[in-house]
Amino acid sequence: MQNKTRTALIAYAFLAPALILLAVFTFYPVIYGSYLGFTEYKAAQFAAGEAPRFIGIQNFITLFQDELFITGLWNSVKYIAIVPALQVAALAIAVAVNRKLPFMGFFRAAYYIPVITSIATAAVMWDWVFQKEGILNWVLQSLHFINSNSAFGWLNNEYTAIWALMLVTFWRGFGFYMVLYMGGLQAVPAEVEEAANLDGATPFQTFWLVIVPMMRPTLLLCSLLSTFAAIRVLDEPLTFTPGGGPLNSTYTALMYVYQKAFNGFNFDYGVASAAGLIIAVVGIGLSIVQFRLNREGEERA
Amino acid sequence: MLKKVLMVSAALGMGLGFAQQKTEIEFWSWYLSPKFDNYLKDTIKDFEAKNPTITVKWFDKQDTMVQDMIASINLGKSPDVVNINIPETFNAAQNGFLTDISTLTSSSELKNQFWDNPLNNFTVNGKPYGYPWYGWLNEGVMVYNSDLVKKAGYSEKTLPKTNDQLLAFAKRVKDRTGQYGWIPNFIDASGAPLWHGFFYADGLPIYDEKTGKAQFTSSKHVALLKKYVDMYKAGYFPEDMLRKEAFQLSMELYNQGKLATIVGGPQSLTRIKDANKDLYGKTKVAEAPLGKSGRATGGGMDLVIPAASKHKKEAAMFAEFLSNNVNQMKFAKIVAIVPTSKGAEKDPFFKQESTDPIIQASGMVGASGRYIDPGFNPPKNSSVLYKNLVDNLEAAFLGKKTPKQALDDAATFWNANVNK
Repeated sequence: MQNKTRTALIAYAFLAPALILLAVFTFYPVIYGSYLGFTEYKAAQFAAGEAPRFIGIQNFITLFQDELFITGLWNSVKYIAIVPALQVAALAIAVAVNRKLPFMGFFRAAYYIPVITSIATAAVMWDWVFQKEGILNWVLQSLHFINSNSAFGWLNNEYTAIWALMLVTFWRGFGFYMVLYMGGLQAVPAEVEEAANLDGATPFQTFWLVIVPMMRPTLLLCSLLSTFAAIRVLDEPLTFTPGGGPLNSTYTALMYVYQKAFNGFNFDYGVASAAGLIIAVVGIGLSIVQFRLNREGEERA
Repeated sequence: MLKKVLMVSAALGMGLGFAQQKTEIEFWSWYLSPKFDNYLKDTIKDFEAKNPTITVKWFDKQDTMVQDMIASINLGKSPDVVNINIPETFNAAQNGFLTDISTLTSSSELKNQFWDNPLNNFTVNGKPYGYPWYGWLNEGVMVYNSDLVKKAGYSEKTLPKTNDQLLAFAKRVKDRTGQYGWIPNFIDASGAPLWHGFFYADGLPIYDEKTGKAQFTSSKHVALLKKYVDMYKAGYFPEDMLRKEAFQLSMELYNQGKLATIVGGPQSLTRIKDANKDLYGKTKVAEAPLGKSGRATGGGMDLVIPAASKHKKEAAMFAEFLSNNVNQMKFAKIVAIVPTSKGAEKDPFFKQESTDPIIQASGMVGASGRYIDPGFNPPKNSSVLYKNLVDNLEAAFLGKKTPKQALDDAATFWNANVNK
């Protein structure tokens, strides 16, 4: 056996376990789920052992005629508003804790704790914050922004509920992105910063004109991850507002998928899969936009 | 000769092998572990002792029960006995997931063991699909904080007896104490709206079980909804009523001393006792108020046998055993359930005198198994219909639709989707 062939075989042997896992748990479900989106496959068919029935784009027509799905999709897109805030905060905190100062280990851990806090625990805590007699209203009253008569439950108001959920997502998510940004920051060679300092750049100029461009891949990765996380948000709405919030103001597209696919014995895998496909297409579309923006940024730089 | 001996030995060995072969059945309970581990383990042990050829493998399922069951059926490993509730039994039976139990246990045996109402609660299109296990009454007892009730100017004798009086009570408690008097059941843990139970309680129909068409748009329905909407808008019910599951919210507020009464099953008393002993000391029980029809609604859990079970006969034996009067009564002595088996109503346990609210409440409702009636059966496609009904009722409570508009819209949606 030639050396080249042997090297290739060894490489594939090393890749095989990961590829098999990906094939079973990612590629197959994606392909089969996409196929199901074009079929009728309801609970009764499943129970009778019948195969899914191909119906073309009927499920997609059904979805775009369903007000609930449209509301959910719009709320999911609205949820993307969290992404810039999350990224800016995560990057700022990463810069702040990426220094060799006393207690930095403590701060890094503290910022990361929400990431590993269960949604159930977070629900109890944030419920206290958002209640009519909760902490948030107390703070706002103490600062004289509102009076006691205008206090309201933040999760019970159709205009504020989704923003309240975004705050929870922000709290739960920024520690994760902070760690990624810290990795990006630590990959920037110290000499580059030193050179910028020698050239007379201010700390802000060093950060904005030198470090940020070098962290472009990390920025793109974090933006993509958080955009996808936002478009398929489920934990927060389902835990805090199980019915979809006041007047479905927190009802997201993935809640729709969840209810169609997993809510009891009345499931409809065809419609759920079609809805999942639409969410994926929206997510991919947004990713393409981000890639384009990133490339344009690179070209300008 | 040696050949003969060997053959006989082999035959005996095989015979013994077959004689010792046991059938293993899988039983899934729902949210009963760890609190009732001892009860279930002991009952399973009793069953195995009486049926040496059957072993029972028990799992307690919680959040993901239904998904786990569907996944297991898909993998060809269906459980044999599963504990679910009335709505899930209907959904599962309507879609062909369950075994008609009259093919395993004769109708006369079923009628001997259970009251008609509990049995009918699990009967879909004329066929029984579940062995009624235990039940509850939605208007079983009124649990109340005697301090708050006294502050509001009520005594044991003047407590509300009807739903209209209950609304007046809720208003007066809030006006005089600043705390909530009572919270109507709006949202159920399963996502179903409990609220339409109020229609039933006043003798108003929900839908026609033959055609599936909605029947909740009459002026009486509108007037009833309006009463509650007006109370909500005036702040007599908490905002969270529209978001949080009714039982959970009532428990939260009651345990904080912010709610005067809980109308429901005695199970709330166990929670109060566990969470706040002082408050339990001030807690008393009374007969629950009823609507104009004078009927209480209720619910129940059953034991179903999936159509995909491979050991249906043994599963039926176990389900019958677990739900018989002896075992339901043992369960009732641990937790305040309402047994659904005939004979429970005569049990001295429900007739004992006590000052303890749990025992008092158990006595008040425990023998009422024969009356358990959810009021109406879940329609086909219930999850979709209920979601829309909740959305419309919510719009009425939040002032986005008039009560009439909300009920009309819900009925239009209902009629268009009920048979899908």
